[in-house]
Amino acid sequence: MIAVNAIGLSRSYGERAVLNRVNLRIESGEFVALLGESGCGKTTLLRALAGLDGIQTGRIDLPGRTAVVFQEHRLLPWQRLWQNVALGLKGSNVRELAEAALTEVGLGSRLDDWPRTLSGGQAQRVALARALVQEPKLLLLDEPFAALDALTRVKMHNLVKVLVAKHRPGVLLVTHDVTEAVALADRILVMRNGTIASDYAVSADTDGKALHQSLLAELGVANSID
Amino acid sequence: MSSSQAVYDLQPEAILAPPARKRWLQRRGVLPALSWAFPVLLLVVWEIAARSGWLSPHILPAPSKVAITGWSLTISGRLISDLAVSLARAASGFALGGSVGFLLGLIVGFSKVAGALIDRPVQMIRAVPFLAMLPLVIVWFGVGESQKVFMVSLSVAFPIYINTTLGIRQIDPKLLELGRVQNLGKFEMVRRIILPGALPSILTGIRYALASAWLALIVAETVGSNAGIGFLAIDAREFLRTDVIVLTILIYAGIGVAADSLARALESVLLSWHPNYASEGNK
Repeated sequence: MIAVNAIGLSRSYGERAVLNRVNLRIESGEFVALLGESGCGKTTLLRALAGLDGIQTGRIDLPGRTAVVFQEHRLLPWQRLWQNVALGLKGSNVRELAEAALTEVGLGSRLDDWPRTLSGGQAQRVALARALVQEPKLLLLDEPFAALDALTRVKMHNLVKVLVAKHRPGVLLVTHDVTEAVALADRILVMRNGTIASDYAVSADTDGKALHQSLLAELGVANSID
Repeated sequence: MSSSQAVYDLQPEAILAPPARKRWLQRRGVLPALSWAFPVLLLVVWEIAARSGWLSPHILPAPSKVAITGWSLTISGRLISDLAVSLARAASGFALGGSVGFLLGLIVGFSKVAGALIDRPVQMIRAVPFLAMLPLVIVWFGVGESQKVFMVSLSVAFPIYINTTLGIRQIDPKLLELGRVQNLGKFEMVRRIILPGALPSILTGIRYALASAWLALIVAETVGSNAGIGFLAIDAREFLRTDVIVLTILIYAGIGVAADSLARALESVLLSWHPNYASEGNK
């Protein structure tokens, strides 16, 4: 099953091409990390797949729903947690669905709390629940852990790994953290100047350290200490 | 002057050595009691001055006289019926002006084209102090009920309009984006994101509107009324009943305070999610 199939996506601002005939295909259950320097077009690609920014040429096939977790939690401060999670759901059992989703992220006891009572990591967990409750075929993660402290980030990595394995959406994680990409992804793409420059498969027997090194080298980070 | 010099000298001492002598000040309820003691003292002085004949009852009658007048007017039913007339004018004017202001605010908030068309003329009309419109409004409507309701509407529409457009424009575009990725329809977008987001600003508008509604009502009622608190005051002026006039002034003040607490209560209920309005225990 395909989660998304994008062919020949292009977009430019004036003279500068931000996306230059990008092809991207993600299978259901596949976890793809997209690395790249700031301004390489990775966020533009994610926003194009989310339908937030238009593309000038190309085609995007999305067989199912798409959900997004942004860098900021974007919880509605005037809605209680369960209502935030249920945002966009229809039907009579939305509260039960929201409760189940909040329980999955470990916040099942706080259905009726206001978002302002949450810590940064908790708020991001609610945002994750809000995305997963939609049962998306494609889950887009736009640097969702960047604003968290190191310890909370590791906990979030584990939570995301478990929940993605359970719900099996295709995932596109935009990040600039190489460690995060290696820890989470089945496939790592490096983007440069609006195109996907390289594509690494990650499996259980991949040498994580070597991969880490070559990714750093590709991103132009010289490793002179070792 | 020697007395102000003395006050000045006291300050460093109060800062440096407060414990023993100022401890009574820190006891619970002492400062609130002090803050009430002074107005009460003023009332007592006023009462004594009026009773001793030093203050003519035509200038300012004794507080007790005003209270007795208020009681007798309440018993006769006159005060209640006039108050009801005034409140009805205020309510209908508020409903009318409030809905017009809110609807225009919504339209301008949502549509850039409507904003370009409507906003400038509205802002131009707003530059006119609404009380200055009274002679014109009397020419249009005469001195009947519609003139009074219209004046109140006029004073209410602008603050509500301005704060509604402002509230809608200030909504975080990131939340609107979220609404789009969660597949919210247009109606749901308005109900779940835009209106609640604009609500703090709209409620501020309502508070301003309540204050200016009373101002408009007082002015409108003192022209050509045959009922209402304003008529009570004008009628009393004819007979030099200063006690009744003071009573009407106090009623206007009381209603103003009541309207403001109503607006505050509305805020604390509707904005309990907001950190600035959150009350204790309402987590």
